[in-house]
Amino acid sequence: MQILILLLQIAMVMAIVLLHVAYLTYFERKIIGHMQVRMGPMRVGWHGLLQPIADGIKSFFKEDIIPQQADKPLFLAAPIICLVTMLAALAVLPFAEGWVLADINIGLLFIFAMSSLASYGIILAGWASNSKYTFLGGMRSMAQVISYEIPMGLSLVGVMMLSGSLNLSEIVAAQGTSIFSIYLFPQIIGFFVFFIAMLAETNRVPFDLPEAETELVSGYITEYSGMRYAMFFMAEYIGMMILASIGTVCFLGGWNGPFVIPFFPPFWFILKVYGFLFVFIWIRATLPRYRYDQLMAIGWKLLIPLALLNIFLTGLFKALVH
Amino acid sequence: MKVQYKAKRNLLQTILQVEILQGLALTLRKLFSRPITRQYPDEKPPMYAGFRGQHALVRDPLTNASKCIGCMRCATVCPSRCIHIKTHPGDSGQRLIDQYAIDVLRCVFCGYCVEVCPVGAITMTEVFEYASYDREAIYFDQEILLANWDRFLEQTGYDDTYVNPFWRPRGTLESRLAAAMRRDVPADWTIEGQFVGTKVRQPPASKPITDTEAAHA
Ligand code: SF4
Ligand code: SF4
Repeated sequence: MQILILLLQIAMVMAIVLLHVAYLTYFERKIIGHMQVRMGPMRVGWHGLLQPIADGIKSFFKEDIIPQQADKPLFLAAPIICLVTMLAALAVLPFAEGWVLADINIGLLFIFAMSSLASYGIILAGWASNSKYTFLGGMRSMAQVISYEIPMGLSLVGVMMLSGSLNLSEIVAAQGTSIFSIYLFPQIIGFFVFFIAMLAETNRVPFDLPEAETELVSGYITEYSGMRYAMFFMAEYIGMMILASIGTVCFLGGWNGPFVIPFFPPFWFILKVYGFLFVFIWIRATLPRYRYDQLMAIGWKLLIPLALLNIFLTGLFKALVH
Repeated sequence: MKVQYKAKRNLLQTILQVEILQGLALTLRKLFSRPITRQYPDEKPPMYAGFRGQHALVRDPLTNASKCIGCMRCATVCPSRCIHIKTHPGDSGQRLIDQYAIDVLRCVFCGYCVEVCPVGAITMTEVFEYASYDREAIYFDQEILLANWDRFLEQTGYDDTYVNPFWRPRGTLESRLAAAMRRDVPADWTIEGQFVGTKVRQPPASKPITDTEAAHA
């Protein structure tokens, strides 16, 4: 019985998240369109509202092309690795008090592990397609993920030190319910580092070098088509949502808000995640892509020292207070 | 030339990345501006005089047939050689058209054929939506070209007084035009209505303007 309920919950979370993925693409296109004084999708349904569904159906029925020279098992496995690891990371996110599938004590670590695993999917995709564009995309992604995983982990160390826990629900609880006690203020440097590393981790503009259209056609997904392409796409958007959720949980006080919304406790959590996603899209509509050496320089020469400084300051602060 | 470099950022501006913030502010402002998109199949774009669209052969109201005299000028001038004309001599030596066809798929829409025609027989209409799934439908013979003209008049509400700016480029003297091209045009197409530099070129009140004067003015 317990398992049945859990399965039901998992199915619900997955359905909701996948629906969000679909409509996130819609809002991305709409918002970027309007920022560029266009309209975005307008023709499928009222103001293009059914566009994501049409896209989903279309990619489902598209021919699934596998290049002859590709490493077939790896080629087939790569999108699945990406998507499954991203979906697995959803399990530990606390959407509200007690609204979490698996309330494990190493929540934060688990998410890091999963997002690193997802990058294996990307690298394997780049390798297995046996094409120079995908290979370059995969290589870039590997270097980028390794470089930015470190500052991201380090930026969250401050949060761990303040809350004394890796459990995401406890981190939220440690921030209290007041808007002034969220970790954004004491951890402003950490948040800055986290935010930039978050953009890089999700391969978003201005760090979208692994799939830089202008240079690499589509990077590691160049050879993919139909549903497998859509799987990478979903993985990327779920990754965005997961990192937005981590940002919400670790820096913005999770599900706590100015007042309690009855019957729908995750309200504030969802609102904050939407805010993050909007900023993602907003940045995509604004900034050009960084050069590759700049990307590396930002990661190693700016973000890591900043994150270390943040840890030092947090430690100093803790030592002085006690 | 003096190169204008941007002022160097100070430390605070570097830390806050003001340029990025400025860019973000701009895109956010544009988010709430009115899109300039024209929803094309629903909203048609405005057409301007002189648009080089679908070809048509003008139907002469007197003979109810094409005005074309088979002079071959359009076929000769056509840079993509896509006008195909065949004629045979008639009783009184005039040319009678056997075939007049435009392979529009090869046309580059330069409008030379319209400009060169001495009788204003061929024109380019404002119609641009005539894509088709087969090539034959876009190979226009005489009947289709005449039908294009009829349809154009019907759709746009022009009548036989329609004047294509390529037949009669604005500001040309009447005397320089072939007889068939001397038609009534709006005042701003005439030489008096043209702007030369910043001044309106006014003809002297007493004597009519001549070619040599116009060339020197
Ligand atoms: S528009 Fe130019 S290319 Fe087309 S038929 Fe006329 S002369 Fe030829
Ligand atoms: S230039 Fe005019 S009159 Fe001469 S062949 Fe062409 S359409 Fe006919």
